Amino acid sequence: MFGLNKIIPIDPNINFLGLRKNFLIFSILAVLISIGLLSIKGLNLGIDFKGGTLIEVSTKNTSIGELREILSSSYGDVSLQEFGNENIILIRLQNKSNQESIETVNSVKNLIQDKVIEFRRSEFVGPTISSELLFRGFQAVSFALIAILIYIWLRFEWQFGFGAVVALTHDVLFTLGLLSILNVEFSLATIAAILTIAGYSINDTVVIFDRVRENLRKYKKLELVDLFNLSVNNTLSRTIMTSLTTLLALVSLFIFGGEVIRPFALTMIIGVIIGTYSSVFIAVPTLLIFRFRPQEDED
Amino acid sequence: MKNYPIWKSFTVISLVLLGIIFAIPSIIYNENSENWFLKNKINLGLDLQGGSYLLLEVQLDVLYNEELENFSDSVRLISRDQAAKIEQIVIAENDVIVTFSDISKIKDIRDSFFQMYRGISLQINNNKLIIKLNDDYKKTIQDSAIKQSLEIVRKRIDESGTKEPLIQRSGKKRILLQLPGVKDPERIKDLLGKTAKLTFHIVDDENTSALNNNLAPFGKMIVLDIYDENIKYLLNKRAVVGGENLVDAKGSFDQTEGHAVSFRFDTEGAQKFGKVTTNNIGKRMAVVLDGVVITAPRISSAITGGSGIITGNFNAQEASDLAVLLRAGALPAPLKIVEERSVGAGLGADSIAAGQIAAIIGMVLVCIFMILIYGAFGALANISLIVNLFIIISLLGTIGATLTLPGIAGIVLTIGMAVDANVLIFERIKEESLKQTKVFQIVKNGFDRAMSTILDANITTLIASVLLFAFGSGPIRGFSITLSLGVIASMFTALMLTNFLVYMYLSFTNKKELKL
Repeated sequence: MFGLNKIIPIDPNINFLGLRKNFLIFSILAVLISIGLLSIKGLNLGIDFKGGTLIEVSTKNTSIGELREILSSSYGDVSLQEFGNENIILIRLQNKSNQESIETVNSVKNLIQDKVIEFRRSEFVGPTISSELLFRGFQAVSFALIAILIYIWLRFEWQFGFGAVVALTHDVLFTLGLLSILNVEFSLATIAAILTIAGYSINDTVVIFDRVRENLRKYKKLELVDLFNLSVNNTLSRTIMTSLTTLLALVSLFIFGGEVIRPFALTMIIGVIIGTYSSVFIAVPTLLIFRFRPQEDED
Repeated sequence: MKNYPIWKSFTVISLVLLGIIFAIPSIIYNENSENWFLKNKINLGLDLQGGSYLLLEVQLDVLYNEELENFSDSVRLISRDQAAKIEQIVIAENDVIVTFSDISKIKDIRDSFFQMYRGISLQINNNKLIIKLNDDYKKTIQDSAIKQSLEIVRKRIDESGTKEPLIQRSGKKRILLQLPGVKDPERIKDLLGKTAKLTFHIVDDENTSALNNNLAPFGKMIVLDIYDENIKYLLNKRAVVGGENLVDAKGSFDQTEGHAVSFRFDTEGAQKFGKVTTNNIGKRMAVVLDGVVITAPRISSAITGGSGIITGNFNAQEASDLAVLLRAGALPAPLKIVEERSVGAGLGADSIAAGQIAAIIGMVLVCIFMILIYGAFGALANISLIVNLFIIISLLGTIGATLTLPGIAGIVLTIGMAVDANVLIFERIKEESLKQTKVFQIVKNGFDRAMSTILDANITTLIASVLLFAFGSGPIRGFSITLSLGVIASMFTALMLTNFLVYMYLSFTNKKELKL
């Protein structure tokens, strides 16, 4: 209609695989740096996983400074932060010891009662609960990866499963590394985002693998590198289109969806970009390790 | 309408209509409607409508310890009967160790003890008798404690006037509460935080040296005053009567005493109370609540009517809350709040508004983009996308799922991802159009070829979101529900509705060639 679809040529012929070494080095570096960051700096764990108290208040023209003054005498390690606009303030307190109880919520509320219009949110997570939540989150991610691997294995040859899992692990680690650099809060919602990214990335990979499989049957004589290139090119416009529409929706969520959901949206945006990249530049080249056609050696 | 079977058009149209019709209750969203149809609306999660989520843990250690205390008292009594001298009694985490001066009576004591209690293990080590709680016995204590706690928590919550609470056991020793619309979570937490164990004891005002030395003789105990820690009372350990004998309690107001709680005993309680007050005129009677003395008035005359009042420095709310606690009964063990998530109505409303805006803007952006890229076909895909949204909403409403803030995020995400199936189909059609010219054949091949890819791609997303449901908690489950429904609905809308729309479009415009 507007001819915009011509921007992406119907039959592009970009040599993706030719650049595979550069991208491989980039990705290996990125993953190594991510692992380093995760072990040294770690993630900015929210109260879901660290335990503690979080209270969101809307104030009557009270500055953060005033609230800090009131609270810091009783709670040395209190952290305050504007949340969305200057009248909404987020108060965070860590669990001091295993004895820490719900009392903190009450006493903080009492201290600042007359400065506050509304207590918008109060959360308390005890130390046992936070470690349970962390364990369950870890469990969910591992099981999801295994289940996806099994599915790919059943539907495709096992080599594809291997490629998919390499790409998936890359996506998860890379995303976590970026979350660490950007200091994005890691919460239950982040676990959901990571799992969704896993699903999305696999979705992308599967579409390309599907085409690889089809082309393997169709072009018996084509060199593997060329065949993979062809498959990536065949699916290129779909890969770009779907990533763009998903990103449009996520950017809208990031901008308009409110402060609480923002870290989730940001994680998803990062993950979708990385997932799309890895499907093309990591998952497909990984397949080159395997010789899909033993007879090629004889040629 | 070439090649398009009537039954298929009929199915597609009716499914779409059903999707739209059943979305109506959620879109109108009349909270109090009793209409059978309008009742099928989406439930809003606590994070959207405001309310409190609480996770309580029954402090079983306290119970085990109480049981061990009982054992130690029994051992003292038995030893006294058998004239055996006890050197020391130590109550540890899991057992009681009784050290005797000589070992001559130890076996007899063990045997008589064994007849009194089941479910314990007794061990003799030289002059030590070790009494241990068995795991089975502990489990019995645990199960009955949780059961009782659940019942009492339910009573207290009902009395507090919370509408539609959800109260259930969670795991081995926890109780989960969801209290929609609670405005003052602190009050609820106060109500749940008290064991509310009420007992009446005679005060021993004669033995002042015991109080001074802070050492209670056998059969007595020292208890602090609720308002002043410096005031101590020496009480008979054995309670005259307890909260289990109460039949009613309410907040009352007395000109001289201020706010108070008036109570009434059952027949048994009234008799005991009457007898003790008759025999102890002139002494004081302490009212002990959760280990502290609220008040200790002097008994001026026998109280045989079976009713009375408890005074203290109460305000109206405190008096009526104490009455609630006394009516509901005592918890077998204290409850500890291990997790709380409370959201005020203001934040909930803000979240809904923000989510709606994000969804609408995301939708508009995606729709514009699809039209820019695919022209008329893009517009058809947009119709599918909108219907998709209606279907998600109607499914959420009819299965009675709960919509949470992450759930809204799932819907917005679905808007972006749902066009994927359409894109896959259109790209295939584009490729097919290079190979041949028969319009309907192109479309048919396009759909057929895209089918298996669509299934594979969506099933992987479904796997991830089902696992998220299995391991996720609370609001996160809301996300996996909307994402799963979105994925399923998008497969239907792409493979059936878009298919139908494309055929209709081609039939009506009578296109001879197809260029995407």
